[in-house]
Parts: sequence; structure tokens; C-alpha cells
Amino acid sequence: MTSSKTIVLRSSDGATFEVDEAVALHSLMIKHRIETGGADSTTIDVPEVTGNTLSKVIEYCKKHVEAPNSDDLKSFDTDFVKVDQAVLCHLAKASYYMNIKGLLDLSSKTIADMFKGKTVEQIRETFHIKNDFTPEEEEELRKENSWNLFV
Amino acid sequence: MSTTTTVNPDDTTIPFSDFPEDVQLCILSFLTPPQISSFACTSKRFSTLCRQDSKLWFSLCHRRWGSKTHIHKWGSGSITFKRLYNTLQDYQNLIGFWRLSKTQSQPRSPNSIPNNPPPLVLFEWGPFFISGSRVLPSGNGSYDVVKSPFLLMGISAKGEIVNYLQPNSEIRLDSEAVLMGSGLGNELVSVDVNHLGESHIIIEERVGFGGMRNSNVMNEDLIGVESGSPPNRVTSEIYQYFANRTSPVGERRQRRREKEKNGNKKWESEHFIKIVNHSPTSSRPLQGLWKGICEDAKLDFYLVAYDDIGGIACRKIGDSCKPFSSCAPVFWTSNTTFLESPFSSEEEHIYETREHLLPPGDIPSSQMESVSRMLYINSSYDLVLPGLAGPTSVNPHHVEGRIWEYGDGTIGFGFLRDNHIVDLKHIAVDGCLLDAVQPL
Repeated sequence: MTSSKTIVLRSSDGATFEVDEAVALHSLMIKHRIETGGADSTTIDVPEVTGNTLSKVIEYCKKHVEAPNSDDLKSFDTDFVKVDQAVLCHLAKASYYMNIKGLLDLSSKTIADMFKGKTVEQIRETFHIKNDFTPEEEEELRKENSWNLFV
Repeated sequence: MSTTTTVNPDDTTIPFSDFPEDVQLCILSFLTPPQISSFACTSKRFSTLCRQDSKLWFSLCHRRWGSKTHIHKWGSGSITFKRLYNTLQDYQNLIGFWRLSKTQSQPRSPNSIPNNPPPLVLFEWGPFFISGSRVLPSGNGSYDVVKSPFLLMGISAKGEIVNYLQPNSEIRLDSEAVLMGSGLGNELVSVDVNHLGESHIIIEERVGFGGMRNSNVMNEDLIGVESGSPPNRVTSEIYQYFANRTSPVGERRQRRREKEKNGNKKWESEHFIKIVNHSPTSSRPLQGLWKGICEDAKLDFYLVAYDDIGGIACRKIGDSCKPFSSCAPVFWTSNTTFLESPFSSEEEHIYETREHLLPPGDIPSSQMESVSRMLYINSSYDLVLPGLAGPTSVNPHHVEGRIWEYGDGTIGFGFLRDNHIVDLKHIAVDGCLLDAVQPL
């Protein structure tokens, strides 16, 4: 039985994680690095992602690579995103940089759910958006966009 | 508003602008248009982002319908994705099975083609249009069905809804041919699909344009030219069709036109009702669209529906559009509690002495071991009062029957008055037609 190759992933803050190659390949970014990196690419730097987030990402990849058809995959995903909002945001960014579509869609959808039932001001607060409209501009925009509701 | 407490970067969401734009678009692609509108009001930067039709509204369309249709190709790629989103949202409701309700009862115009339109219709996603197909028995004596496209619904490059219909139900609408514009000039009819609520549509001939007789016009309408072409004679003709719906004319001329319009109508309007519950569920295992072969050796389509008081009724599709159609269902029952096997020897006898009405070559399951459950049914709504003979009551032996459910979920039914079993199969599973063949 061939021993499965392992890869070491190094986060921005120097934390290292040893993972099976098959799991690492779930990230298309890592797949590309390995395929173009030559024979010595056993350690891969992921400077866009901190250790905490990388650990979570690896957990996701492990589950999806090792048991992709399991019945509890859906509940795994649901529980996986029950995290602090900050962690969720970092997961979204990490999945984008590491090119893991499933995780990007999952975290994006969960962030999108945070819009439900919120007013404009509440959206600003949740997502730290600075209001740079004058009151007149804001009124104009509100009128313009309210038409969208009926189109 | 937050005060001057130090914000621990791990506690709150990051500012939305910290996300790369692709991530922003991915998040926004899950929102509804009203939520997008609210988001657009939050800041100048995001207002601009939300105006970017090709990025944001494309993402919204792709998220919802990218797996079902080619988002880029609708409207020759010339309409805004925002417009496309609204259109596809309307069209989404059409997808599925509809049954013909009674056809419009207006005086038949002399030019219209006499039709006995088949009663079951299926709407599906096409690459850049919605296609409507009639679903018919194949006529080869088996469970095979034929899907015969008759309606194409799309959007012109100008953003107008454009629908083409083949009025002769004997002829299939060949979408490839329409799009190639090959020799279809006078046959196709331009129609409107109007909604009366969510479950009722009327397909009516669009009068006033003289129909789409020019095949070049059809071709350019739907697929147009990939790279922008300069306005030409054909394009300006298209524009005229849509821009000048009514032109100022004298009264006498107007009356003559009206008469011409109605006289020239090639196609009778058709009403369709949506078949909302077209498949069985675990709590309603008999629900949905079925097909079976009757004593006349022809394949028929049936719809079994559950009512609000725990009963079920089965009707032939197409019964509701015959004039003076009887109200009698094929079968019904108010008691949907199944009897489980093993069954009494009396019931075994009833089942095993029957002839299954099957296509030649199909092997029937004549042993009662193949039946997992059964139900008692009636074929008439008239009161059945046991022991009471007379003209107002019905002989119970005449109307009583059985449904036998097989291990694979299909069913057979029969009545005590004869010794047949009609074995029913599903017409579709997960929205896909079963046993579809090419027409003979």
C-alpha cells in the first residue's frame, strides 16, 4: 500500500499544519502550486491566511475529501459555519485566496443571511460601512431604489 | 453607534469593503433584489457597485439559474442582466407540468386550424428560452410517451418578450430550425402568455402585427448577431412591430382592421392550469401524474390528487376540457389508510384472477406477494348504501374497487365489476419525463 504523501501548509503567523496531499489538493490554489512547484514542494506558504483560519479550512477540506458522499455532510456544513462573525469573514476570504469554491459559497451564503430583515442603517452597522451621502443624496437614492422593489 | 472601546479584531465582522470584490459579489449573489436595493443605499461606493449590471446582476442570475440555462445568451446578449433577472423570475413559475383547461369558447375564425390539443404540457428551461412541449402517448401500445415542442418563449435584443407557437399540434416546433430561420415563414404564430394568478395561464394569439411571417425577423429577434450589427432594414422592421402597437387610423379603417384581425386568427386561445402536486411524497404516496393502459389498449394520463379532508381522487387528464364532461372520477376514496400484507385469501383471489392490461411483452406481477399494500376505492360519487336496492342507489359491486401498491411505488387499480388491472407508472421523476421516445 503506497504511503500517502503529506504536505505542510504554513500560515501567515508561522503555524504549520501537516495534511494528506489529497486533502490539500481540495484547494485549487495549492493544487496549482504543487503542480507547478517541482519535486520539492512539500511545504507551501499561505501568507494570506492566519493559523486559526487555516486550521478551520483544513478541517473543512478533510471532511469533504474523506467523506464526500456521507449523509451528514449537510449537517456538517451547517454546523461548520456556526461561528463568530469575524471567523466567518476570515473563512470567506481564505476560501477565496485558496480557491475552494464549496467553502466560498458556504461562507458567502451565511454572510448573506446576515442581511435578512435589516434596514439600510443596520446593514451599515453590521458591515462597518460609512455613510458618505448627504441627506439630499440619500433621499434621492432611496426613492430611486424603492422602484426596484416593484420592478 | 460604537463608542471609543477598542474593538478586538476577532469579535466583529470585517468591514464589507475589506472583502475582495469577487467575494463581495459572491455574497451579494445570494441576496434578493429588495436586499440589493437596501445595500445600494449604504454608501456611494456600493451604490456604484450595485449599478454594475454585468457584474452584480449577472451574479444574481447565475446564482439562481446558471445551472439551468445560458445566462449570457438570453436576448442575444443585449439586454441588461437586471431585466433578465426579473424576466426569469417570472418564467420560473412556468417550469413544470400544466394541464389544458377548457379552450376559449369564442367563434372559431375561418383561418384557424381545427385542433384537438393534447391536454398535458411540460415547460422546461432551454439554452436561452423556455420551451413548452405537449406530452402525448406515443401510440405504439406501450408506456412510451412523445414530447412534442410547440412553444418557444424568449426575449428579443430590445428586451421585448417574444413567443412563437406552432399552431398545428401534429407538427413539432423545431427550435433549431426557428433559430436558423429556415423556411418557417408563415407557420408560426406570435402569442402572449398571460397569467391569471400563479397557477393559471392563457396562451393567446398576439394580434395586430400580422404575425411573424418573416423568418429573418424571427431569427434576428431571438439570437441576433453576437457582435453589434448596424441597424438595417430588418432591425427597423422589428422595431416597428414593437414600437407602433397602435397607429392612428380613421374609424372605418379601424373597424375593418378589427374584423381582419379576428378573421386572420390562426389559433384558438388555450387555458392551462398548473399541476402543482405532480409527484408523490412520503405522506402522499399516490399523489401525482400517472400513465396507464386501459381496456382500449391506449395509454392514458391520470392525475391523483389528495383533498383537504384525507381523501384522494383520480381523474383522467383532459376530462375537464370535454364538453358536458361527466363529473365522475376514475376512482376516489375517503379512506387512505392502507391495508398491509399479508392479505386475506378473498383479496388474494380478487387480485390473482385478474388480467393486467399491459403492453405486449411486459410481464405482469400476478402473484399477490408483489403487492405491498392496498386500498379500497369507488368509481362513482353516488351514494352506495349497502342493502338498499333501487334506482337512486348504486350496486356496490359495480363501483367498488381496489388499488394495489407494488414494492417499487407504482400502483395498479381495478374494479369488482370486471377482471382487469390497470397498472400505472409515473409520467416523470424529478421533473424528467420517463419513457420518452422520438415520434414514429
